[in-house]
Amino acid sequence: MIARNFPLLTIMILLICSFIMPIVKEAKTFKKLSIISMGASVVLNISTLIYIKYDGSFFYRVGHWDAPWGIELHIGMIEIIIGILFTLVASLVIWYSFYSVDTEIPKEKIRFYYLLINILIASLLGIVYSNDLFNSFVFIEVSTLASCGIVVIKDKKENIKATLKYLILSILGSGLFLMGIAFIYSITGNLNMTFIHNELAEIYIKYQNTILISLALFTVGLGVKSAMFPLHIWLPDAHSNAPSTSSALLSALVLKAFVFMLIKILLRVFSLEIVIQYRVLDLLLILGSIGMIFGSVLAIMQKNIKRVIAYSSVAQMGYIFYGIGLGNSLGLTISIFHIISHALTKSTLFLAVGSMMEQTGKNLSDLKGIGKEMPVTLGIFTIGAFSMVGIPILPGFISKWYFALATIDASKLIYLGVILLSSLLNAVYYFPIIINGYFGEENLKGKVFMSKNKPVKELLPVLILTVGIILVGIFNKGIINAINKSLI
Amino acid sequence: MKSTILYEVSKFLIPIIQLFGIYIIFHGHLSPGGGFAGGTIIGAGLILYRIVFGEEKAQEKLKYTKLLNLMCGSLITYGILKGYSFIVGGSNVHLFDIPLGKPGDILSGGLILPLNICVGIVVSVVIYFLFNLFYEGEI
Amino acid sequence: MMEGILNNYYETGAIILFGVGFVTLLMHNNLIKKIIGMNIMDTAVFLFFISKGYIEDRQAPIVRGVHKGVEGYINPIPTALMLTGIVVAVSMTAFALGLTVKIYEEYGTVDLGQIMKMRGDENDDS
Repeated sequence: MIARNFPLLTIMILLICSFIMPIVKEAKTFKKLSIISMGASVVLNISTLIYIKYDGSFFYRVGHWDAPWGIELHIGMIEIIIGILFTLVASLVIWYSFYSVDTEIPKEKIRFYYLLINILIASLLGIVYSNDLFNSFVFIEVSTLASCGIVVIKDKKENIKATLKYLILSILGSGLFLMGIAFIYSITGNLNMTFIHNELAEIYIKYQNTILISLALFTVGLGVKSAMFPLHIWLPDAHSNAPSTSSALLSALVLKAFVFMLIKILLRVFSLEIVIQYRVLDLLLILGSIGMIFGSVLAIMQKNIKRVIAYSSVAQMGYIFYGIGLGNSLGLTISIFHIISHALTKSTLFLAVGSMMEQTGKNLSDLKGIGKEMPVTLGIFTIGAFSMVGIPILPGFISKWYFALATIDASKLIYLGVILLSSLLNAVYYFPIIINGYFGEENLKGKVFMSKNKPVKELLPVLILTVGIILVGIFNKGIINAINKSLI
Repeated sequence: MKSTILYEVSKFLIPIIQLFGIYIIFHGHLSPGGGFAGGTIIGAGLILYRIVFGEEKAQEKLKYTKLLNLMCGSLITYGILKGYSFIVGGSNVHLFDIPLGKPGDILSGGLILPLNICVGIVVSVVIYFLFNLFYEGEI
Repeated sequence: MMEGILNNYYETGAIILFGVGFVTLLMHNNLIKKIIGMNIMDTAVFLFFISKGYIEDRQAPIVRGVHKGVEGYINPIPTALMLTGIVVAVSMTAFALGLTVKIYEEYGTVDLGQIMKMRGDENDDS
């Protein structure tokens, strides 16, 4: 029974701990505080998962007011899995950042960096858990500010420019999202998702245009924030200029929270039966497939390794939108599974690349022969890249396999070619990095084996993430079943 | 700025502005107003001080670390108080019920008054910081 | 159609303002104008929301003297929501302006077109 309080408690703990950080003096103390609060939220989330496994999903009333007036949290299996994913990845990234933060961020700003990470994760958890549209909007704004903060904290020329681009497009997205809430509020008179859903089921025939407008506003608004293909232009700059730990968080978690919000709106607010009557899902399907191909094509043209991975994010977000656009429950399930697999993989890739970039340069040509100097790091990178390309057992393969099954299920066979082409394109830009890393002959001269490798202690968080990737691949059946069961 | 009139007038005016802000914060649950509005007024008083008396004097009186600690302290207080009320309300336990208060009485506002004070502190400090961000010199 | 637009003139005005803000945010290269456009857009949403809560011939939801029952007052929820919205918009504006000051210090201009031309060597793609 007490486990019902844990989701709210995680958000409160993270927020309160974040504001203790500017007060404490010692650098060690706030670093400890950051990792302890994040670790505590992982533990709390896992105990909530155990509670949900036996007692089922529940609605949690925040404060003293009942549902239509007060704010409500809805915690089901999917939400708690994503919550665990977010807190786990964040705590591993924070752990990794202890060894790299001094080189990348000015010294007097480090405490604010950890403050921002805590606020960011708290607000993302809020987006995932909340069952109230306006509350989600506030959390979205908080997370936007915090994620802009962790990009700009490096305080270089390019960072500021990239952040401004990111901020302007994010503001556009939140404006559209708020307008969408305004439209839906004006016809239903509610902000609680469950109540809006019940209201819409009765009246949607009368207000078809309004529903179409607000659906479009929600889709485009959240599409800007989660880098749907033609609206992704802020992503490569922001993700490649940020410190590598921030890139890992932004790419792995922030995009995912917004896309999950979109899934929640389509599923919980409008319900699939209503959404299917409009062409919004087709739009998502087409944009997703274009993103899958063009994200990869653009990634091939890059010279900077971080930009390659950033564009690869665009392609992978394309998969998620594609899965939503298929419009059947298998497609949605696999989209959520892909959120998990991509979050783990992309954070691993960014951290591995970050530690390579510390030692060499940021261009692809600098990484030739890196396999001799940093075999462990390149090994981790290889596993991540294999998962992205879709080598069996790894989660990337499993989600691609099920995407194909879902496509057949929805009888849209033409799109199978898109999945195949996109996988091939993925291989085109990931394999050269690996092959040049291990066998790049011309740069191998004068390089000493393991000379630049980080100590295993510093690579441990990334290794744990890699183990997580493999575990998700092995236990995919259980995860997919759990998601599928609690969908809708 | 070196103008005697400005100097003397603001010496007289700043305390009044701040008193007015405090009045609005304290009456937030009885009349229109509250932490946000009152905090903005106090922040405006601090900004006036900064403009008229210059950077050095303002930094001496309103130290950056002190203000930051004050702000974080009130945020933590807000978080703990409101979090307590959230958790208690959400799980339906009644360990220690905060009084609901009765209309017309300042000190019976339940949680609203302390929360308003916290919001007032945070908003005034933030407004002052924001101004300094765009004004010449450091905070 | 026309009648609906004229009867709901608050909403019509809000949508027009929203369009003005949207276009200003997207089309202008000047960063300050972009921020102004963002503010116009937010204000339009506030107007839309508050007009949804307003009911003619009713009072502001403050109890003075006797409580008149639910029929006596307008819907307070949109107003309360927009108070939060205003706070969010203020912090967004402040952050954007702070970044603009930084941009001006680094690049010497607030024109986004010129800033984008001055890109580094490694970012030479679209």
